[in-house]
Amino acid sequence: MTGMLPPGFRIQRETNTEEFFINMGPQHPSTHGALRLALRMDGETIVELVPHFGYIHRGMEKQAESMSYLQYIALSDRQDYLTAIQNNLGVVIALEKGMNIGVPEKAEYIRVMLQELGRIASHLVFFACFGGDLGGQTCLLYGFKEREMIHDILEEVTGSRLTTNFFRPGGSRYDVPDTFIPRVKAFLDHMDGTMKDYERFLSKNIIVLERSKGIGILSKEDAIAYGCSGPVLRASGVNFDVRRANPYSIYDSFDFEVPVTYNGDCYDRYTVRIAEIHESMKILRQCIDRFPTEGPWRSKEKPVRLPVGRYYSEIETAKGLYATYVVAATTGEKPYRIHTRGPSFPHIAALNKMVQGHKISDLVTILATLDPVIPEIDR
Amino acid sequence: MGIINLAPKILDPIPGGKYVVNAIDYVVNWARANSIWPLTYGTSCCAIEMMSSSMARYDIARFGSEVFRSSPRQADLFILAGTITRRMAPAIQMLWEQIPGPKYAIAMGACTISGGPFIYDNYSVVRGAQNLIPVDVFVPGCPPRPEALFHGLLTLREKILKETCRNPWQVGEPKDVSTMDRYREAAKTWAALEEMKDEEMAEARAKFKEENPDYKSSFKPIRIKKEDFPEVERVPFKRMGLTQSDIYAKLKEKFPAVTVHTHSEDPVEDVVAAMPADRPLEVMVTPEDYLPMVEFIKDEACLKMDYLIDIVGIDYDDHFDVVSQFRSMEHGHKLFLCLQLKKDFSIPEEQRATALLAHAPSISHLYPAAEFKEREVYDMFGIDFVGHPDQRRIFLDDDFVGYPLRKDFTHPEMIRRPV
Ligand code: SF4
Repeated sequence: MTGMLPPGFRIQRETNTEEFFINMGPQHPSTHGALRLALRMDGETIVELVPHFGYIHRGMEKQAESMSYLQYIALSDRQDYLTAIQNNLGVVIALEKGMNIGVPEKAEYIRVMLQELGRIASHLVFFACFGGDLGGQTCLLYGFKEREMIHDILEEVTGSRLTTNFFRPGGSRYDVPDTFIPRVKAFLDHMDGTMKDYERFLSKNIIVLERSKGIGILSKEDAIAYGCSGPVLRASGVNFDVRRANPYSIYDSFDFEVPVTYNGDCYDRYTVRIAEIHESMKILRQCIDRFPTEGPWRSKEKPVRLPVGRYYSEIETAKGLYATYVVAATTGEKPYRIHTRGPSFPHIAALNKMVQGHKISDLVTILATLDPVIPEIDR
Repeated sequence: MGIINLAPKILDPIPGGKYVVNAIDYVVNWARANSIWPLTYGTSCCAIEMMSSSMARYDIARFGSEVFRSSPRQADLFILAGTITRRMAPAIQMLWEQIPGPKYAIAMGACTISGGPFIYDNYSVVRGAQNLIPVDVFVPGCPPRPEALFHGLLTLREKILKETCRNPWQVGEPKDVSTMDRYREAAKTWAALEEMKDEEMAEARAKFKEENPDYKSSFKPIRIKKEDFPEVERVPFKRMGLTQSDIYAKLKEKFPAVTVHTHSEDPVEDVVAAMPADRPLEVMVTPEDYLPMVEFIKDEACLKMDYLIDIVGIDYDDHFDVVSQFRSMEHGHKLFLCLQLKKDFSIPEEQRATALLAHAPSISHLYPAAEFKEREVYDMFGIDFVGHPDQRRIFLDDDFVGYPLRKDFTHPEMIRRPV
């Protein structure tokens, strides 16, 4: 057997049964994009999994070296397009650290509100795809229904549905329109009712319980060792949320919980995300109450030039820890190097740990609850 | 459709047979145009808009395309949603070959038309789907709105309605991949055309000036008054865990050789103490100290760096920097170790581009997360990680030549950004 192993597989144990290999992807409806998984199977049981990346490697980091800092904000949209607005903030905070400029209060509120809307939108896609991958097409339709309302708000504010490219060092591109707050309020009121529907759909659904409880368990130690973050880490019992652990923007002035569960299985990852939608709505409510109508919505416009140095920022997107590392070797408008740490990469790295001993249909469930976005892994 | 394609041959010579052939056309086209089943395929951002368009709000079912098939053998339409990379290109051609005819392709988004945002300085993106397979309809946008996709779908519908069995649908052959740089030729032609146009315009302008010597433009630029914004002082975010000075003192005690990269003349301690609260401490490590230091910061109770954020490579003229970023889950402080690796210039100059220029110790036995990150650095920079269990290329093909994130990397398919 040894001589025949495909690249990436390592010999694990002596086997007597006939093992075989299955290739899943790069074009597969439930790999959430162009991801290829090579599986070593023993009958119907997965023995080992090796992910193959790079099918959507777009060379963003090389491109960034010949772009200006502002142009890179537009590229960050295209990394994790489900949380484009959050990625923008991650890059912008790193630039602000370099330029050493602050953000007025109203701009911070705009930022936080759009962040949380983006988080809800991303979690709704998770809800839709999770349901869809388990065979419930209805969930697909429902998840995208509420997401369209968020898209309407985003479109009104930023001018674009998906690739927002909105924040700038010192604030944002535009002020929010007068209709912004009433619209968010209407959305929240509507969402209160629909969240009940959603939970009735899946949370107590016997098929979901059977297929996700005890499946794909990731222990606390493994989750930390593999560098998981976001809901995946919190479902394994680690209370880590950058909004609390290293608060950025004005997150330390809000009252919200960080939902943590302790089993680390698929169902826990699902419940954590549902709970996070509730927390995001809580933050949005507080924002609406305290939103300053007066005051500047950005600080003084300055050319985006960073002095020599290295700047690091980290934020919590819907998927987890999103870090940007900017290296400026000369003072100027172009970076020497920009590196992005996306949250999905470590999750796929830990996938092998989770799927061993499960069936292929469980792999689909596990992959859905990791909620990976492949272009953000490959960049 | 073999039998139907015979119909014109048999029926057209018979008096009145033309009408029967027309009727067959009408029925066949009606059926084809009203149930175009797309393939579930999507690589990146545009795929999300494709999904949105099939959901409740936009409802692609109105046009008979709601049945997204997961298998190419049941699909009629290939919506190319998302960037196409060189690594994905063979898979796309294979999918296209697997779809039974009659089959159609819609290129959705700027990426599949020309490369879109990834057109310049890029070594991995195919500039346009038409280089790989025959495309029927192009839908511009980044991403196109669902309405735009529908417009593309309706355009395709019109195209299908014009088909006839007198001139039946032909299998479009997948293109030869060697023509991938067709874009460059087109760009040259385009530039020549632009030049010609410029000359013509200049001539016309000169002529106009000759004929009307005292013409004055009535155009007046309007100045928009810019809003004034105040300067705002930046407040560093709150610090968690140990201060930078504390961490630095701890490291210095154990490893006297550590320093901090600085441009000022002040003693290093003062530089560290003056760092803003939200700036992680970044220390320079020698290759000998690297592995012991990682072990030390992982085990030391008051540091406890148990979480590896990332490993980043940076290429300079004569050395690489490998920055390993750690954080402590328990305390919340961060520490970056910057490992400086001299490039091995004993390798002859013409081999340097494809050779591994530096060696670093691997830390993947301490942090499982490092395994993939080190593979990425190896893939992009050509740095050898000694002791890595599985050092292979991760994002690029095994036969890819060179290491793209080095500053002197060149690739025959790369187009420089014009500005
Ligand atoms: S056209 Fe734009 S939105 Fe579509 S895949 Fe390309 S970058 Fe993404």
